[in-house]
Amino acid sequence: MTIKRMAFVQELLKFMGLEGRLHLEWISSAEAQKYVEVVTRFTEKIREMGPNPLRAMTQEVR
Amino acid sequence: MDCKFIPSVCSYCGTGCGVLFEVIDGKIESTLPLKSHPVNQGKLCIKGWNLHEYINSYMRLNSPLIKEEGKFKKATWDEAITATAAGLGRVKEKYGPDAIGVLVSAKITNEENYLAQKFTRAAIGTNNVDHCARL
Amino acid sequence: MDIINEARQLLVQEKVDIFLGYRELDGHLIPHGYTRDNLDELEGLCVSQNRYPLEKTATHLAKKDPDLKIGLVARDCNQRTLNVLYTWNQLDPEHIKTIGVNCCPSPFKDHGDCTYLAPKTTGEYKKEHGIDFNAAPDLLLDSMTNPERFSRWMYEFNKCLKCYGCRNICPVCFCRECSLEHEGLIEPGALPAEVPIFHLVRATHMAGRCIDCGLCEDACPAHIPLRLLYREANEIVSGIFDFQPGMGVEKSPFSIIGDKIEAELKPLDA
Repeated sequence: MTIKRMAFVQELLKFMGLEGRLHLEWISSAEAQKYVEVVTRFTEKIREMGPNPLRAMTQEVR
Repeated sequence: MDCKFIPSVCSYCGTGCGVLFEVIDGKIESTLPLKSHPVNQGKLCIKGWNLHEYINSYMRLNSPLIKEEGKFKKATWDEAITATAAGLGRVKEKYGPDAIGVLVSAKITNEENYLAQKFTRAAIGTNNVDHCARL
Repeated sequence: MDIINEARQLLVQEKVDIFLGYRELDGHLIPHGYTRDNLDELEGLCVSQNRYPLEKTATHLAKKDPDLKIGLVARDCNQRTLNVLYTWNQLDPEHIKTIGVNCCPSPFKDHGDCTYLAPKTTGEYKKEHGIDFNAAPDLLLDSMTNPERFSRWMYEFNKCLKCYGCRNICPVCFCRECSLEHEGLIEPGALPAEVPIFHLVRATHMAGRCIDCGLCEDACPAHIPLRLLYREANEIVSGIFDFQPGMGVEKSPFSIIGDKIEAELKPLDA
């Protein structure tokens, strides 16, 4: 069910223009190394993408 | 089981959008916009969509209430009107007519608004009449 | 078009207890429930060019009396709505009888542009006030880049007044506790609306449910292109799960837990 929802929401966000900011990964509590890797890579990816345009817009409104 | 749809006009603001009440067995179940109404053309604001809530609300007043010793007691219309008239009369005598102000509203009819301002100007004798929209 | 006789047959033969159709009152064509007690009222039965969500009334009636047999006039979109409500267990197909009527566009309602109909045309009203997405179907899609798409949608969503009209009139929306009324998500009474959370949450709930009847866009006072958004959501669903709501008795993929599917998410480095 989670995969279904995530697949749908990723496509929906792509339609909205917020592509690639959502990711799903299954990690057990014993796979600490994998967790570190995934989080680091994702953080780097997001950093490259730049700030979320939504945040900029809501900041403007305030 | 009986199902009827009754067209009406929204009672909230002065725009007067057309609404359609879904009445099942004599009770208003939900509110729909009237699509062929020239004013709103099938659209409503959030107040209009929820007209059925206040109509069926348990918080509606069923009878006049008079406050005696800090508590509200049920009264008849005659008692309530007499008490109100006496109270207003007391204030008018002690402080003069300009101590009383009257607020009219978009929720009541034009005729009732006219009556209210006539009462303020002729019966009480003051110009202090205003409208809830100016608040 | 002998609906009057058909309806009378259904009522008299006790196949239905109440028949939901339309009638004219003071120049307005509004819905009405015809019963066996007032059979002569059936003379006024007509099909309205204005569309109302009669299926929602049917769900209210069914909630009060689950054994009630209800008859409806049904265009194609109404039939699809009924199919969806059957799969979500809101109505019992044994208790519903429909009389099929012609589809839009009709001479009055000239902005019918249902995806399930062919040929696809857009009415004059829609061309003036809304987005004509039959002329340029990828107006908001691949032809634009991410920032353009984002700002265009944010512009549209910012018009929202949070009237909940889209949700109230939607014939397949039936949740008793709507998540759009949860104080943690959408603060009650706060305007401007929580853009784009409100609309994206609604779009997610419409995935696998929306049958493109267009009542939401008709009811939106701000002319937001909701139909396009929900249509896109259902295209995503049909692309990933190969499921089209309203076409049969298949249950929506979002209502089944624990089945194995083959959808794959995009990998991290894509």
